[in-house]
Amino acid sequence: MHDRKRIELIIERMAYKRACRVLETSGVTGYTVLPALAGFGGGNRWQRDTDMSASRDMVMIITIADEARTTAALESLEDLLGDHIGVVSVSDVEVLRPERF
Amino acid sequence: MDVAISTLLSPIILFFVLGMGAALLRSQMTVPEAFAKGLAIYLMMAIGLKGGVEMSKNPLTLEVGLVLLAGVVLSFVIPAISFALLRLTSKLDRTDAAATAAHYGSISIVTFVAATEAVRLSGLDSSGHLVAVAALMETPAIITALVLAGRAGRSEDPVAGSERGELVREVLLNASVVVLVGALIIGWIAGEEGTAPISPFFTGLFQGVLCLFLLDMGLSAGRGLRQGWRQLDAATVGFGLYMPLVSAALAGALCYLLGMGVGDTALLITLSASASYIAVPAAMRLALPKARPSIYLTLSLGVTFPFNVTIGIPVYIYLATLLNG
Repeated sequence: MHDRKRIELIIERMAYKRACRVLETSGVTGYTVLPALAGFGGGNRWQRDTDMSASRDMVMIITIADEARTTAALESLEDLLGDHIGVVSVSDVEVLRPERF
Repeated sequence: MDVAISTLLSPIILFFVLGMGAALLRSQMTVPEAFAKGLAIYLMMAIGLKGGVEMSKNPLTLEVGLVLLAGVVLSFVIPAISFALLRLTSKLDRTDAAATAAHYGSISIVTFVAATEAVRLSGLDSSGHLVAVAALMETPAIITALVLAGRAGRSEDPVAGSERGELVREVLLNASVVVLVGALIIGWIAGEEGTAPISPFFTGLFQGVLCLFLLDMGLSAGRGLRQGWRQLDAATVGFGLYMPLVSAALAGALCYLLGMGVGDTALLITLSASASYIAVPAAMRLALPKARPSIYLTLSLGVTFPFNVTIGIPVYIYLATLLNG
């Protein structure tokens, strides 16, 4: 098994394409976007499909990358999260096929 | 008074009240998201087609052009007034006030649809070009809000990952603009004869679908209010209730000057008094991401929309009747 970093980003749905562009520019080889159902943050509860604008919906983006790409991605994601609602976390993972990440 | 009572007791409004009451009482009832979006597309197609067919019956005149222009001017001006009032009376900062103001300059197509039904049930005539006015009033308010927030033309510090033209695409090509304007043009081209085969689907089912949709809107408004009411102080809630009346007075004066009929006056007043909760919130998340949706969306969807649908529309019809002597 080989060491890699897993980035988990929970971000408002309206900004997820910006986050995806940041990841692509950083050179990550892939990511997955998942819808989030409901949550709590900033003193507010939120719930998916509360309104038709979907402007309070959140999504989760998961990607796995090597250390260099993770560092590059985090620098831009920090800028993005300065403007948009969201949280990012990084954890150590092991992968079977290192050439894919 | 009769108009007010018949509007308040119409199934459309009663279903809205049912949805809002259920959400406020924490009912688990939901309308599936995809179904609700389908209903919204149906309603916008129906209202667009109807407007287009009506427009095909009459030539475009200078009077029509002036009404279209009046709508655009109102959409540019109302956010500036809203912004000034919010900055004067509430504690909202510049960004939150500008984002909120944008909602009040833009329009709510569902409020417009409900008003169209109320005008029709009151036995008043309205012309199809008000649908075109509705489409034109969706976006100018966003431009005013960006100017007020000091973000217009700023490109030196774009948000990470942002792409050139993404805001323009969101504003001009969002689903409501595309479907509404598209259906309007199709109705205009096809005319009454051309749309006759599809007419039963779009007219016969219209009121039933509107009931379903307003049930969902009631649920949305109630949930939005329940989740976001802590963010609103008394001055901000007050704004959500008096601003529609300020906009209505402004639009009423303009309609009077233009010599518009009762039905058209009622609809332009309603458009001006309504606040967006679909197109503008989405645009604001891209253009002014630091503005808080828990404020502008709760206010627009949880306070102003219920006010307009229940009390506002009968008041606007009454005001239009007064203005036409």
